[in-house]
Amino acid sequence: MIASIIGVAAGIAGAAPPAGTHVSFVACPVARDTGPDTDVCFFAEHDGNRYALANPPDWGVPQLKHRVLVEGRVKEGPLVCGAIAIEGRASVLAEIDESCSVIIPFDGVVKGESGGVFNRGTPQQRAFAEDLARRSAVDPRLSLEPAILDPPPSPTPTPPFGARELMIAYPYNSDRGSGPDMLKLKDLAGYARVAKARSVRVVGYRAISRLSDGSEMTEGAGIAQARAIKVAAILCALGVDARVTHVSWNGGAIAGTGDDDWRNRKVEVEVTP
Amino acid sequence: MKRGFKGGRGAPHIIAAAALCIGVAGAVLSADTYDAADSWWQAGAKRVMPANAEYEDGLGRVRVVNADGPFETQGHPFFTPLGTNGRACVTCHQPANGMGLSVETIRRRWEETGGKDPLFAAVDGSNCPSLPQAERASHSLLLDRGLFRIYLPWPPRSAAGAAIQPEFTIDVVQDPTGCNTDPAYGLQSKTPTISVFRRPRPVANMKYLLELPHGVPPSEFLFYNDKSLLPRNPETGGFASLQLMSDGRDLTLKIQARDAALNHLQAQGAVSDKQLSRLESFEKQVYAAQSFDKVGGELTGEDSPPGLGPEALERGAPARLGNNPINRIFGSFAPWQGIPEKAQETPEQRAQRAFRESVARGADIFYLKRFMIENAGKYNDKGLGNPFKRSCGSGCHNTLLMGMDLAPGYMDLGLNNLPWANARPDLPLFKVVCNADAAPQSYLGRVIYTHDPARALITGKCADVGASMTQQSRSLAARAPYFMNGSAANLRELVDFYDRRFNIGYTEAEKQDLVNFLGVL
Repeated sequence: MIASIIGVAAGIAGAAPPAGTHVSFVACPVARDTGPDTDVCFFAEHDGNRYALANPPDWGVPQLKHRVLVEGRVKEGPLVCGAIAIEGRASVLAEIDESCSVIIPFDGVVKGESGGVFNRGTPQQRAFAEDLARRSAVDPRLSLEPAILDPPPSPTPTPPFGARELMIAYPYNSDRGSGPDMLKLKDLAGYARVAKARSVRVVGYRAISRLSDGSEMTEGAGIAQARAIKVAAILCALGVDARVTHVSWNGGAIAGTGDDDWRNRKVEVEVTP
Repeated sequence: MKRGFKGGRGAPHIIAAAALCIGVAGAVLSADTYDAADSWWQAGAKRVMPANAEYEDGLGRVRVVNADGPFETQGHPFFTPLGTNGRACVTCHQPANGMGLSVETIRRRWEETGGKDPLFAAVDGSNCPSLPQAERASHSLLLDRGLFRIYLPWPPRSAAGAAIQPEFTIDVVQDPTGCNTDPAYGLQSKTPTISVFRRPRPVANMKYLLELPHGVPPSEFLFYNDKSLLPRNPETGGFASLQLMSDGRDLTLKIQARDAALNHLQAQGAVSDKQLSRLESFEKQVYAAQSFDKVGGELTGEDSPPGLGPEALERGAPARLGNNPINRIFGSFAPWQGIPEKAQETPEQRAQRAFRESVARGADIFYLKRFMIENAGKYNDKGLGNPFKRSCGSGCHNTLLMGMDLAPGYMDLGLNNLPWANARPDLPLFKVVCNADAAPQSYLGRVIYTHDPARALITGKCADVGASMTQQSRSLAARAPYFMNGSAANLRELVDFYDRRFNIGYTEAEKQDLVNFLGVL
């Protein structure tokens, strides 16, 4: 719904905190339309300031009807989505909150950028797409030739094989890893196979987030186990020897400090050849 | 060319043009052509499946390419009754309907046979087997909406037969067919069963459904939605795409064929491996798409958009992401943009030019016009954000040449769940109450009213209630009505549903352009 947003649309009321300031809070995300041909962006308000909610790719974009847990630190630089940029994570909370419903219409000021095949992928993928675009403008039949080439396979690991580790971070109370992290996991599985790993250790964790107001949020008791088992199942499905894979999870929750507590919601994978 | 071939009375003349023209982009093909009324393929009839045939539909003609060439259908398991009720696969996957089944064909068959055709078998061709089968009212969902009864065990079972503990309870709120409360067939019967009602999907263009997706890594082994593992294909040991069925319960063509023989054809014994292999081989090489429009004329040829017609599907690369500036899902429609007016243009030529330009505008709307996609369970919540601003083509219908969601993923577009579903007093309505510790459906919570829990009837998960896999968008003109529950009687109703559901605000002209565009696919 495009809601009346007079209050929300007003300028930033609070003084912008200095770069490096930790912020941790729960709030409704606000969606902002950035133009007819671009995506919406999101921000959230806290203590009179607006903070942009920008996660790494596929980590999970905020959702209306749900509050977000915002954890990060203020970044130097221009406003993002008309809000203060932060380095960190925004986690969508699972329960529905109907009050999170505001969409700011396009105001002509905050503009988005169009994504697409020309600015993603490897240089080879982009060059191929650009060349195909030129040719298909002349010959429409080429519009059916796949423009996005499959990424090249990861190089086969070669000796000497040393120990490797991967840390996968998760949104609050979620076991959904991001696409980029899953690709790293895939590569690590390949490494474990080629290196004939003697041990693959998978450990799941859950964590407490300390908010800026001093309150705490603790992840559910089963989430560390769910994360660990899901990662181990993926490794197994990708050919890692189940006999050398050791799966465990931390029953307790890692205490929060209010400083990047999202890093404690994780699975650690350690491959030892 | 057009001949009034009477189905089942003789072998059609076979045109080998399809084989000759494979790989020749834009060639106009000759084909056998059948009147709509002549086109019924009777199970067990001695016929020839031609290499290339056209069948009249409401908007023009659909063309079916049988790429491996013509063959006698007698004894072929796709065309032969494999069970006890007289049906064959072809009964519900008619070439004249793009290998699907239109409600128009169903009604005609009822009239021609007085309801005696095996198509109307009590098991799933009626609203419930316990109803008096001679009465039209007992088959109303099939005759009015083209819906077959899909009966599934409750609670669900895994493919291996193990019981799945569902995350929710389910109660019947409305039961117009009587089947969900029937003492022999319902949820309280000795073998608790839930009945939902769905359209058959077309058996054509299968390579696009079976191949794992390219361009959306790591979807070659994970669900995009939640990054859980895709299921294994038990025949190959590899991962399965899940695109085959609306609820994903059968992973391969052979498994689906075995399931269909048992449930739809009422086979008493197992289908042999040889028959399954023949079914799979046949289904993998059939392509279907609209080929001629009554106003727009021939849809394939030098001056036509390259993505139209079944030959484009036969040639095309499967499972590719199409939502980019080059691959516009169904290819470029530039050949039909700004068509120059001919000197001394006839009224028919003028109408054709106007129609083709309308189709090209419809393509642009489908590809480019963004709107806010909001509150779609298993879609907005799979990392995309709510709302997610996309067009039809760059949103849910992004597979090159086919228009499914490539991801793969299930989604609740509002076809089954209230409050978005069209009013459907003819369908059962269920109340789903999810356990407190289950992840809720992201936008409906833990109490959901639905006409069909869809994917959740397979997984038992609360978040999956009402979610289904998007389906291909080819041969639409030949197989109305649309959506898995037949909610849209025609293409205009389909467009109107999306316009209402997502508050898009299409103009009348845009709606007509979209209807014309969808009609030529």
